[in-house]
Amino acid sequence: MILLFGTTLLIWRGAKHQHIIVLWIVGLVAMLALFRYHVTSILNLSF
Amino acid sequence: MKSANNHRLETITDSSMPGGGLWGVLAFWGLHGWVLAYSLVMLGAFFIQFVKGEFPCPLCMLQRYGMFLSTMGALFVIMQARSGTLTPSRYAQGLGMGLIGALAGAMVSLRQIALHIMPGDPGYGLPILGLHLYTWALVTFAVVLTYSGVALIFAPRSIPVAPSEMSALRWISTGVVWLFIGVAAANVVAIVFLEGFAWVLPDNPVGYHLIEQLTGK
Repeated sequence: MILLFGTTLLIWRGAKHQHIIVLWIVGLVAMLALFRYHVTSILNLSF
Repeated sequence: MKSANNHRLETITDSSMPGGGLWGVLAFWGLHGWVLAYSLVMLGAFFIQFVKGEFPCPLCMLQRYGMFLSTMGALFVIMQARSGTLTPSRYAQGLGMGLIGALAGAMVSLRQIALHIMPGDPGYGLPILGLHLYTWALVTFAVVLTYSGVALIFAPRSIPVAPSEMSALRWISTGVVWLFIGVAAANVVAIVFLEGFAWVLPDNPVGYHLIEQLTGK
């Protein structure tokens, strides 16, 4: 969340758009990594 | 030489931009609607967290992150438009960020819906207007995906145009941007209190870890 907040501040400050895109991608990867960490079980669904 | 070519390319691209007109104005304020709506959604989540006493689970927080990632795309376009540096390529980049952020958030929502899909499962937390928060989150992500798709279809006609500086509309725009920054800052504080000195949230949070760790209770 700190990373996302930092990226938000960079967008607001008008930082170089390459920096913003790179940080945004890092934030996305971090979010997906957290998703991978928290989701450990396979859903036992049958319809 | 390379920079001169880049400059020429930028100029050609910019000159191909339509003057903006009604579509540009609508696109600019549509993006503000996006930022404002997600700011209010997250304030609503705070209401449920602090007033109703429901602690957000890790998947709930990940959906908030999806909302932030998505809204950053809209904010990126707004700030570029306000500074007068918005080009069609940057507009597309912002919408792409919004689209992928919403897609990531929708993936988390779908996982949480699937966790509670079995008949008789009460779901996580209290339902609001008949739906749980993670289902509402999926609805918002679907709206953002649709908005981004439509905006991309009309992109050549709808490059956002910011109002002139010192106008009342400019102040409204600034207010919306600051509201989002404030909500983001509040989320940083909230997540620090929830996680304490741990890297990740517990699977089923029942209190604020930071307070427990500091007071030893």
